[in-house]
Amino acid sequence: MQEKGEDYKSLKEMVTIGEILKKASAFEQSAFNFYSTLKVSKRLRPLVQDLAKEEQSHLDLFQTLSKHPDLENHIADLVKVPASDHRFSDYILLPKQDDFRDEQAILQYALGREQVAMQQYDSLAKETPPGPIQDLFRFLANEELEHKKELEKWYYEIVHSGGV
Amino acid sequence: MKSILAPLKALSFLGREPVTLPIAPRPAAPNYRGFHINDWEKCIGCGTCATICDNYAIRMVDIKDLSSDPIKGIKPRRPAIDYGRCCWCALCVDVCPTGSLALSREYVHIGLDLNTFFILPDEKGMHGLGFPKGWAKSSDSDLLDLKRQPIPELTAKERQDSFVEIVQGFDDQTALLEASRCIQCGMCHDACPTHMHAPEYIRAIWAGELEEAVQQIYRTNPLANVCGRVCTHRCETACSIGVRGKAISIRWLKRYAMDKVSHERIKQIASKGRNTIESGKKVAIVGAGPAGLTAAYDLARQGHAVTIFEALEKPGGMMRYGIPEYRLPYDKIDEDIDVIESMGVDIRCNVHIGHQMASLENDFDATLIAIGLHGGRSTRVPGTDHPHVYSAIDLLRRLTLKEKIEVKKKIVVIGGGNVAFDIARSLARLQRNLFGEVKVVITALEDRENLLASPVEVKEANEEELQLFTSRGPRRCVVKDGTLMGLETVRCISIFDEQGRFHPKYDDSDLIFHEADMVVEAIGQAPQLDFLGDELTERLEWDKRGRPVINQGGCTSEPWLWAAGDVVEGPDVIHAIAAGHRVANSIHQYLSIK
Repeated sequence: MQEKGEDYKSLKEMVTIGEILKKASAFEQSAFNFYSTLKVSKRLRPLVQDLAKEEQSHLDLFQTLSKHPDLENHIADLVKVPASDHRFSDYILLPKQDDFRDEQAILQYALGREQVAMQQYDSLAKETPPGPIQDLFRFLANEELEHKKELEKWYYEIVHSGGV
Repeated sequence: MKSILAPLKALSFLGREPVTLPIAPRPAAPNYRGFHINDWEKCIGCGTCATICDNYAIRMVDIKDLSSDPIKGIKPRRPAIDYGRCCWCALCVDVCPTGSLALSREYVHIGLDLNTFFILPDEKGMHGLGFPKGWAKSSDSDLLDLKRQPIPELTAKERQDSFVEIVQGFDDQTALLEASRCIQCGMCHDACPTHMHAPEYIRAIWAGELEEAVQQIYRTNPLANVCGRVCTHRCETACSIGVRGKAISIRWLKRYAMDKVSHERIKQIASKGRNTIESGKKVAIVGAGPAGLTAAYDLARQGHAVTIFEALEKPGGMMRYGIPEYRLPYDKIDEDIDVIESMGVDIRCNVHIGHQMASLENDFDATLIAIGLHGGRSTRVPGTDHPHVYSAIDLLRRLTLKEKIEVKKKIVVIGGGNVAFDIARSLARLQRNLFGEVKVVITALEDRENLLASPVEVKEANEEELQLFTSRGPRRCVVKDGTLMGLETVRCISIFDEQGRFHPKYDDSDLIFHEADMVVEAIGQAPQLDFLGDELTERLEWDKRGRPVINQGGCTSEPWLWAAGDVVEGPDVIHAIAAGHRVANSIHQYLSIK
């Protein structure tokens, strides 16, 4: 019984590549929806539109990847659920719009998302054996890191340098 | 007898082998003044060599592929020598501020084409043969004075418990000596955002013509008392003397000229060239900071009726409400503003525009938004919502307004820029008066070498016994049972990534708790644009940093509305002045055809 329980537990801690990609798509979709529907003054709209555009490009990337022949053969492969998964999942739920009163709050939220996504893909890459799936997660982690750096640049310019 | 036989002596040479000297040149002396060599890496293209040459033998030639950086004082041009004119006096070498120019020991050039006597020397010399150096700059021959005249200022003990101005200014003798160091290269002019005629006013100071100096200053800067004290002096960064020595004290020389000429005379000088014929056009300016005041000055001089609406009780904007009096006395701001008002500018203080922008659109021919960044940014780390966590900008404003501030015994300031040091040093003065001792800590994200505050601020804060912790990132304000206990910081390993993007990395294991009952945040500033109202905000175009989109002349997407200064360019007085001129010119053109 004991052994069966452990098997069951470890199975629960596993997830298929297909499910991961589905969740990742939901993550990006939720971000796109959030930025697209965020009610801000026109002054903040260019920033929010830019963020939405970036998330749309991530979403498109997932659509393309899910149809890639290299990945189709691995869609049912199992990967260990990373520790960051719950935080990643939390971001699929949209926050209250009232919390976003200025550009600093919007950027802090966006930076938080990128950080969690980067950690998620990085952990998944570590849990995956070398091959196309690991390459995919490394690529995604790097994409999120680059986007985070870009956001940090904006953050510095807007928050620390008075907008210049 | 000897003289009679002397001609016969010549007969003794008959039949001797003739002596022929070789045509090849003999080696020149170590200090020989041969053809020029110029180290292009060192040369900044200042053109001082060309200016000093009495024979007009040197001409500066623009080089297409060379980099240009006016801010650092680098021009994309190099000296070309005309050997039909050069007399090898080597004054060009002796005056060269960088030491890039020297003379070689090469001295033979034969050619029928006269153009080959006009050359652009590099480090390999005239024929690319790499001859050794001949006459070069030495401490004996150097015509430049590389040492700066010291500026008298109060000692830490004399100043640390008051807001009395620290810098005392040059006396006549030191001002003359300092002005005499200038080589008139004009690099400062190019680097200055408003292109002040610094070589001209320094020359006038050197000649003892101080009214002429003031006239030169007023050609581009109506806030000269202010800039003579707190300008970020890009001119000095670009100063060619600064390549090997200490840059000319251009800012202090400006201040000297302004301090020496009476205020009434300055008003007369400034009024020269003012158009006394009224244009009949009305311009509204929101905000009496440096951009608004400069634009008002220019527009009033052009005959337009200018009204400035200022929300605070006195004009000056961040110059008055963001800079402590020990750096910029209020009476000096008042003097500059008085000159501007004497042009006919109407300044109405304590006027909050609120949502009346529409009335400005209707009642005036043009409107300029020239507000400063009066909102303080917060790190928003946990605990910063505590009532004893303050914004530096708010506190500086309250200090100027003489509002009561509950100064605590232990204060931590977050930030490494001038605002952080301004508020920290101001609070330290109050602490010393209240408690007889100073306990102010400044925590900056940057390391000591890369602090954003000016080195003078850092040095003076240290002299005034403030503690500075560099490479520290705020983690949280520690609050226990509702009481602020202090600030936790972690070590910042690096702030920017390899591409120069802001990407701070921290070492969470290196944690310091700074005990404090008051925390002040000085990490950045924000504009307060609510007064525009929803309707106008919707009509305007904005960029992704939340600034109104403007064209080159500062006009927004609304043809009647301009924006200038900190709200579009970030906090800096001299940039705001430059922007003020730019928008005034644009508005004047608009009004001329309206």
